[in-house]
Amino acid sequence: MKNSIKVERAKKNMTQATLADLAKVSRQTINAMELGKYVPSTVLALRLAKIFEVEVSEIFMLEDVDWE
Amino acid sequence: MIPSVIFGCMNLFLEYEPDFFDFNVPTIFVDKVFGNGHFFGLVENNIFNEILGVFVIISSLIVAFSREKLEDEYISKIRLESLVWAVYLNYAILIISFLFLFDMTFFWVMIFNMFTIILFFIIRFHWQIYSLKKASENEE
Repeated sequence: MKNSIKVERAKKNMTQATLADLAKVSRQTINAMELGKYVPSTVLALRLAKIFEVEVSEIFMLEDVDWE
Repeated sequence: MIPSVIFGCMNLFLEYEPDFFDFNVPTIFVDKVFGNGHFFGLVENNIFNEILGVFVIISSLIVAFSREKLEDEYISKIRLESLVWAVYLNYAILIISFLFLFDMTFFWVMIFNMFTIILFFIIRFHWQIYSLKKASENEE
């Protein structure tokens, strides 16, 4: 799964730390998600969408490997 | 945790058992060397190692499972992964010692095996958290 957290974060001019505070997770979690090392839970995905004021599907995108 | 581990090792290796810890203690099963065993009774025992064992286990449980400052879903995932990993490693070591160690040496391995599972967990979990923190510091 791909995600555009980094892009959305840049649009809003946020650091990883501020996003982490807003989403009530640790900075490591944000970092791991941006690097594609961690797939967040649905709840966290929805929270991020709310923070960025976009749809979840605009932040997270399926890739071909996700169907295997 | 550390002092009880130190005393625990003293108790194991030097057979250090202070006399004032000698007590008659209740037991669930009395296993006599000669004659039949029976359920429930009193045996004379030095309770020093029991006290230490309980201390080691409780303190390492506290160290292992106390929450991080910010315990989120990713941290809990790492926690679970580390626990599974520790179980695998522990039993891998146990299998090897089953096959290649005998008699008293195996008995010693069994003693340590009671505590190593949680020790492996603590090491692996905190190492993972540490390397994550390091990785997220040079990012921005």
